[in-house]
Amino acid sequence: MTAPASTTTIDLVSRFPEFVTADTRPGFSGFIVKKENLVEVATALRDEFNFDLLSSVTGVDYIADNKMEVVYHLHRTTGGPGIVFKTQVDRVDPMEVPSLIDVWAGADFQEREAWDLLGIKFTGHPDLRRILLWEGYEGHPLRKDYQEAFFEEETKPFKSRWPEGHHTYAEFKNPFRDNIKLPENFKLDNYQPENEDQLYFSLEKSSMKHTSENQMGTDHMVVNMGPHHPSTHGVLRVAVELNGETITSLKPVMGYLHRNHDKIGERNTYLQIMPFTDRLDYFNSMANNFGYAVTVEKLMNIPVAERAEYIRVIMAELSRIQNHLIFIGMLINDLGSMYTPSLYAFEERELILDIFEAVSGARMMCNYFRFGGVVRDIPADAMQKIKDLVHDRLPAKTDEMERFLNENEVLVGRLKGVHVLNAEEAIRNSVTGPVLRAAGVPYDLRRADPYSVYDRFDFDVAVRYNGDMYDNYLIRFDEIRQSLRILEQALKQIPEGPINSQKPQYQVRVPAGEAYGRVESPKGELAFYVVSNGKPNPYRYHVRAPSFVNLTAVETMCKGTKIADFVALLAMLDIVMGEVDR
Amino acid sequence: MNSELIVFLVLSLVAIATALGMLFSKNAVYSALFLVLNFVTVAVFYLLLGAPFLAMSQITVYAGAIMVLFLFVIMLLGAENLKPSNALPWQKPLAILLSVILGVEATYLLLARARSSLSVTSPDAALNTMDSLRNMAETLFSQFLLPFEITSILLLVAMVGAVVLTRAEKGAAK
Amino acid sequence: MDWTMWVEWIVKGFVLCLILLTGFAYLTWYERRALARIQVRVGPNRAGYQGLLQPIADAVKLIFKEELTPGHVYKVVFILAPVLTVVPSLVLAAVVPLGTSFNLFGREITLYVADVNVGILYLTSIASIAVYGIVLAGWSSNNKYAMLGGIRSSAQMISYELTLGLSFVTAIILGNSMNMIDIVNEQRGLWFVVIQPVGALIFWIATLAEVNRAPFDMPEAEQELTAGYHAEYSGMKFALFFMAEYQKMIVISMILATLFFGGYLGPFVDQVPLLGPVYLFAKVIILLFGMIWVRATWPRIRYDRLMSFGWKILLPLSLAIAFITATGILLADVLNNQLFFWSIPVVSIIALLVAVAFIYRDLRRKSHGRI
Repeated sequence: MTAPASTTTIDLVSRFPEFVTADTRPGFSGFIVKKENLVEVATALRDEFNFDLLSSVTGVDYIADNKMEVVYHLHRTTGGPGIVFKTQVDRVDPMEVPSLIDVWAGADFQEREAWDLLGIKFTGHPDLRRILLWEGYEGHPLRKDYQEAFFEEETKPFKSRWPEGHHTYAEFKNPFRDNIKLPENFKLDNYQPENEDQLYFSLEKSSMKHTSENQMGTDHMVVNMGPHHPSTHGVLRVAVELNGETITSLKPVMGYLHRNHDKIGERNTYLQIMPFTDRLDYFNSMANNFGYAVTVEKLMNIPVAERAEYIRVIMAELSRIQNHLIFIGMLINDLGSMYTPSLYAFEERELILDIFEAVSGARMMCNYFRFGGVVRDIPADAMQKIKDLVHDRLPAKTDEMERFLNENEVLVGRLKGVHVLNAEEAIRNSVTGPVLRAAGVPYDLRRADPYSVYDRFDFDVAVRYNGDMYDNYLIRFDEIRQSLRILEQALKQIPEGPINSQKPQYQVRVPAGEAYGRVESPKGELAFYVVSNGKPNPYRYHVRAPSFVNLTAVETMCKGTKIADFVALLAMLDIVMGEVDR
Repeated sequence: MNSELIVFLVLSLVAIATALGMLFSKNAVYSALFLVLNFVTVAVFYLLLGAPFLAMSQITVYAGAIMVLFLFVIMLLGAENLKPSNALPWQKPLAILLSVILGVEATYLLLARARSSLSVTSPDAALNTMDSLRNMAETLFSQFLLPFEITSILLLVAMVGAVVLTRAEKGAAK
Repeated sequence: MDWTMWVEWIVKGFVLCLILLTGFAYLTWYERRALARIQVRVGPNRAGYQGLLQPIADAVKLIFKEELTPGHVYKVVFILAPVLTVVPSLVLAAVVPLGTSFNLFGREITLYVADVNVGILYLTSIASIAVYGIVLAGWSSNNKYAMLGGIRSSAQMISYELTLGLSFVTAIILGNSMNMIDIVNEQRGLWFVVIQPVGALIFWIATLAEVNRAPFDMPEAEQELTAGYHAEYSGMKFALFFMAEYQKMIVISMILATLFFGGYLGPFVDQVPLLGPVYLFAKVIILLFGMIWVRATWPRIRYDRLMSFGWKILLPLSLAIAFITATGILLADVLNNQLFFWSIPVVSIIALLVAVAFIYRDLRRKSHGRI
């Protein structure tokens, strides 16, 4: 088992003495790389030090130092701690940083996001368009000098909502039009939204029709699937270019649910963010809470109560089971079956949600974790329910679903042999979670970089090797079984004791520094990057959402496939728009 | 005037109208639809002549299968509203010339035949037995065996040709 | 021609339409309840006893719903298309015999609308025309999804029509006639499903594709094409498409029952002719349950697989079945040996097993190769 230390022993400074320095700011770690040599260092890290997985790319606006910083987190798919390196650029437009898309294709969407929200220009990125906001948006909202419409104050609690220390409803004091800012010479009457030429241009550019394969010179058709399309799982829009029924080019368009979660995080206090994380991947609020709690605890450097660790694991694994059940049900729905499997899956999910309701009071938006523990203990009858579920009902029902579905000829015919991703493509595109494991890479954070008490349980990392849709489907059943194994052990080992190592408090004291905490959410690697400057609100709060990063691979996955498979392939990624659009 | 004559006259009007509609529609889809209607009218003519088997085959084969393929192609190519093009400039005068010749010929034959005692044979007993499927099959497989087989081979060749055409594209793609 | 005959025709046609329309309404209720039972739900049970008034409530809702005609459609065809879809589904039932005949006020009333001696050809020709409604709906909507749906449905229906025709041929050979009443009478001793079970199965599969039912509901694949050809339709125009699909389900089950399951035949049907429709109705309900069951449990087949299944498996199999049936009958006649007659079901089932083996080989090969 690897050491849970997140510091790294790699000495990058002696390898590149001219342009790499260690980050010596208090509470910070990693290296600072000169931007001119970024690509060289990154290639060396990938090839010499085997950091094959680009976990996260994000930016931080250090306005006081007049610097814009880009932060890269790398990990090895063989496990162990990661490495972080940064590059800084003067805060003068254009803030140009070389793109790492040629080193890791997974940088694609994350660099576009950094461009969109922070205005960092990645030179060499072939398709640097806005991704969450729309073309024509004024400004870059995560910059510290950006003030949104209805801007009141930098951080919550807003004074206008607490006149003389008494709470008032925001609805009564809506300062509409008092502080709204429009661009100069802006007239709503002649407002013309930007057209989407850029999108269609980039669709055209990456099309396969320019290759030699298209000898017939057939006409291609551009179809927009979504945002109102029943099988894009929310408001994802995919612009698809078709040759008959074959996809020759596609570009996902997202941001229809965008609410700038990162900015909300910077406005709120640390504890206020917790319920907002529920809304990321709304199927797995427990896993989101887990990730955020782990990150802030790392930053605060506090222990977690022993019993709470077990409760956390129980909740996270129950959440994983219900997520995978829904995945299987909805996948078969997407294959065109008439809701029957999904309704069977929903029946089990409701029972798990009953447990969430019993412990947290809410079925989906649980808001259950606190720094140092959880908010409430599991009631005795809920504990009995969990035991019944884990020991009797869920194993039996999983068997039943497998028996009903796995051998179905139509299902096998549609899933088997339809290629999703191979290991190499998956790693290059920073794909994590079940999709990566189905491609034969046994990369599961619960083993690769154990957090919480996962190192105390005996379980296997579910892995399959063909990387086709059938394996992607079966691995969900494998993971349900492993989760049940963990749950059995956790229920046996769970100690009595307090459920929080800290006193209940409204305001936590977080020392200055940075932390990158990650957990294995059912959809992949969910990570939070939090920078604190010692104030009650985080200075920078970034979510590395697995759905969003996994979506990078959708182009690689779907080009050249049939339009009917596209729907199933998209389902394989198991995306949730609440998390993609943030 | 018996009822059959009335039906015949009405149907003739419909047939002519649909044929003209097919010719003069701007939109290729409408043309195809007029043609379908025309085929159905012709099928009813067969019914009037006491040949239900032919009538049903006419609908199944022409209206049901072939015209659907026509529509398929028109829709796939988006050729509904093609601009009139002058790709073949000599086509129009030639068409007019040929139709005039046809008209003259038809008129002459009609007048010549009408004058002579050789009237157009009405559906006689020999044709009427065709409504029995058995007779038709016997005629087809004994008297007209060679043409039947030749037609079959022709169709087979066409089918193989279609397969080969699509194969070539696939081979290039790989 | 006597005027009472005209009255009889009109009344019979009217009654048949009424049966189909009511049948459509209650088929939706039947399907929803059956699906619900399979899917651990309850289904509609509020309007009336066991939800029996639900279809009426639905009909009222659909009739009074606002009809939207989008601005970019081809108006004439857009309005014509639902009509063109419903009419074939109604007239299809004309040649299906519901029973023999009974006496009413001293007049012999036959329990079928038309006694066409090429009844089966009539069915194929009407079925082939039924494509137009869907194709035109897809085209006139002037919408890419609808258009794809229309194109898919035309290709699919043409492909499966051949198989359907060949399974008709099986029944024709067995019944020694193209008249549906003669075919029913031929089954007095033995239902054709016993002699040719594979033929009945192929017929059933091909009709599923022909009426666009799951797992062949490609044209309206909700997950890919957002409802396909009827995406732009609302209100009663949409209801007409819906109606056509369900009426076709009923009619096609009636045809299947007539060709292979003895039609209106049953105990005492000769003594009490009015039992005929009852027997047919019972058989239709059982066959319809099969369709609903398939819909509840099977995912959709991918479009290219559907086509290759139709052309590469179903068509050769139905050709083989027609050939086996014809040869068996001929040999039994010529050599006067009933053994050949009884070899028909055996050889047919062997042919079916070979086809199934081909499907499995295909599946297994796919699992090894990585695309």
